[in-house]
Amino acid sequence: MLDLLVIGAGLSGLMAAYTAAKSGLSVRVINKGLGSMHWSAATVDLLGYTYSNQKQSVKRPFTTITALRDSNPDHPYALLTEDGIRFALGEFVALTKEIGLPYGGSGSGDNLFLPSPAGAPRPTYLAPQAQLAGDLGRSEPMLIVGFKGMRDFFPHLIADNLIRLGYTARAAFLPLDLITARRDANTIHLAKELDDGARRVKLGKALKNFAQKGERIGLPAILGLNQHAQALVELNKLCEVPLFEIPTLPPSVPGVRLYTAVRNKLQQMNVRVEPAMEVIASSTVDGQVEWVESETSARPYRQRAQSYLLATGGILGSGFDSDHSGHIWETIFDLPITPPQDRSQWFHSSFFSSEGHPVFHGGVTVNRNFQPIDASGQVIYTNLWAAGNILAGSDPILERSLEGAAIVTGIAAGRSIVKGQ
Amino acid sequence: MHTNSWLSVGPSLDECIKCNICTSYCPVAAVTDLFPGPKYAGPQAQRFRENGQPMSPDHSVDYCSGCRVCNEVCPSGVKIAELNARARAQIAKENGIPLRNKLLGRNELLGKMGGVAPGLANFGMQNSLSRFAAEKVFGIARGAKLPAWPKDGNFGKWFERSQAQRLKSEKKVVYYHGCGTMYYEPYIGQATVAVLEHNGFEVIVPPQNCCGLPLLSNGEFDEAAKYHQNNINKLSSYVQDGYQIVGTTPSCTLTLKEEAPELLDMHSKEAHDLKMAVWDIFEWIRELHAAGDLKTDFRRIEMVLPYHAPCQYRAHRIGKPSLDMMALIPGLDLRESHARCCGSAGTYGYKQEKHQIAMDVGADLFSFVKAQGPDVHMTACDTETCRWQIEVGTQMPSRHPIEIVAAAYGLYDLETRQLLIE
Repeated sequence: MLDLLVIGAGLSGLMAAYTAAKSGLSVRVINKGLGSMHWSAATVDLLGYTYSNQKQSVKRPFTTITALRDSNPDHPYALLTEDGIRFALGEFVALTKEIGLPYGGSGSGDNLFLPSPAGAPRPTYLAPQAQLAGDLGRSEPMLIVGFKGMRDFFPHLIADNLIRLGYTARAAFLPLDLITARRDANTIHLAKELDDGARRVKLGKALKNFAQKGERIGLPAILGLNQHAQALVELNKLCEVPLFEIPTLPPSVPGVRLYTAVRNKLQQMNVRVEPAMEVIASSTVDGQVEWVESETSARPYRQRAQSYLLATGGILGSGFDSDHSGHIWETIFDLPITPPQDRSQWFHSSFFSSEGHPVFHGGVTVNRNFQPIDASGQVIYTNLWAAGNILAGSDPILERSLEGAAIVTGIAAGRSIVKGQ
Repeated sequence: MHTNSWLSVGPSLDECIKCNICTSYCPVAAVTDLFPGPKYAGPQAQRFRENGQPMSPDHSVDYCSGCRVCNEVCPSGVKIAELNARARAQIAKENGIPLRNKLLGRNELLGKMGGVAPGLANFGMQNSLSRFAAEKVFGIARGAKLPAWPKDGNFGKWFERSQAQRLKSEKKVVYYHGCGTMYYEPYIGQATVAVLEHNGFEVIVPPQNCCGLPLLSNGEFDEAAKYHQNNINKLSSYVQDGYQIVGTTPSCTLTLKEEAPELLDMHSKEAHDLKMAVWDIFEWIRELHAAGDLKTDFRRIEMVLPYHAPCQYRAHRIGKPSLDMMALIPGLDLRESHARCCGSAGTYGYKQEKHQIAMDVGADLFSFVKAQGPDVHMTACDTETCRWQIEVGTQMPSRHPIEIVAAAYGLYDLETRQLLIE
């Protein structure tokens, strides 16, 4: 029998699987479809904003997290020590180095501020190497380059907004046929085109002609899919100024790179990630999960493991479902959850309220071992853990803490599972 | 508890959140502009096909290979491949069906005809002049590998001939061999029978028909419905008697389980009972193993073996039981492919205008095999048209996992594809 069945292949599920497999547990990951990481900029947002202050972004996330322990003790970060959080982030950075997709930060422990595809500064804690030169704390003027005809990436919009905020930036277009002969291509297809060395040479030369000395160049995040590391080195060399990627609208190439690299690493560790396996039923007996069943083309497929990790995501993932009346439930084990069960209570009357919307704030309550607990604090099933966006106590989108929370709770849950076996 | 997640084809359209993950993973859109991607051809164009719209808005859906990778990666459960299959049927209704597609849709008939005089039929179909003519006249790609008719008769004839040696047992299982095994690759059926008998099961091979998938793929829904009804008629008595039906071609078993009832709206009790009785052979063996009833007296096979789980296998949503079961064989160094599709997609790769697309789609898989090193001399894959495509793309033989397992039991020779017993 498996030691651990992880339900959900987002960042938290994959990091928990990695942590458990590294300690020698036999692990499998099942998921309904691909999701969150394909929409993510692939930065690690640890804490960008707080509820009390939505106008001012967080500069020093760890200082704010310390304060958060008192103001919001239900927050997933409050379940961990600062050392625990730092350890998990360190594990993630080490993993990214190992899989050839190294992540870095500001170096000082402060947040980085990176330009969004709308030209707004986005607070984040760690970013893939390809995005680091976009740090708005750096002084070099920015040349934002787009490809005329590429959908959803507008360099002039980005540069104008950056200028409005006091940064030095300008914009330029290159023809799209410089990198592709296709008439219709999305970001993934374009990134794949730049896996081809000859196209990279053409692009690098064109960029060199554009850039002025002392500038840095921002490009849409399409610099190679499977050959990304090599593409980055080559292009940096060819254009002779620092380059950086700006994440695009989905599908997000940096997210797909991270997902693929982590999945391949897991495969080397004998952990299979099985897509298209939606869990539709479960059985519990004597305070334990006995099995879960996933949907198939005919009969359900019953799967058993010693331990189970629920990493199915929040209300934007598959962790919760709801009906027209506003009733919300956790989809697999019907665990008690905190969001309001009355539709009129879901949303704040003001869309941009700094308090956020109650429905996004809620989730499954867990103890310090990341095991779901009931209202009296009792562990509900002794072999069930939960991690990621399904947890109660925070609104990761409002706080800009989505990936940070996924990584640290995933790794913490993985460690707790290892300890429990 | 159960959640309500079995979305029927039409309403599943409303679950689409336009995230583009399907387009990012579509193996066809990745290599050609002729297919804009599942999201556009499926949920997006579907809005214009419904509510009595007279004509199909987007004929590019003909370039959808039906591989179902879009369904596999969709986070919202949209049945994109089925939307596309129905759209192709609508186009077929509007424009008629080319003779070539009618031929490709009828592999059972072709199998029967060629089997009458296999030597002559093989010569007629395999020589380069007739392949050239077939491409020019019908549009059947000359580069795609056509199977050969076996000289010493089809699987059914062998099964009849060898009745005296066949195991009789209280434990019985029904075998759905499909057209590929029946008319072209009887050795797949022989390996299957050997493995089942080795585990103490008597194998029943009832009369049966093509599952109808080639017709579904080519938009001939009315004809496909006849085939499915014939299978229901021929297999129902076994289903009622409680037998389980195992099949070795994942696309056939998927059609019996899900594709035919869903696309053709055939939801009778008999159709449902048949669906619930059909198993992929390794899905079934995995249950046997879980119950502790699978013999594991495997011999060592020292071999690096790249394995590709075909799209139609992944579309069963049962995981990769062939990989799990082959992993029980000592010495076997299995390498799992993450290539999305081999390209052939049943009859798709045989169409002259699509053959190059099919080869381009397969390129990822072929280079994966190559990257496994010079020791590799064989690959494994569950579906016959995929194996033939992989053989063309890699220039090395490809085997069904049941052949690998039969060999590990010492019952079968992987090189000559012959049983070592009898």
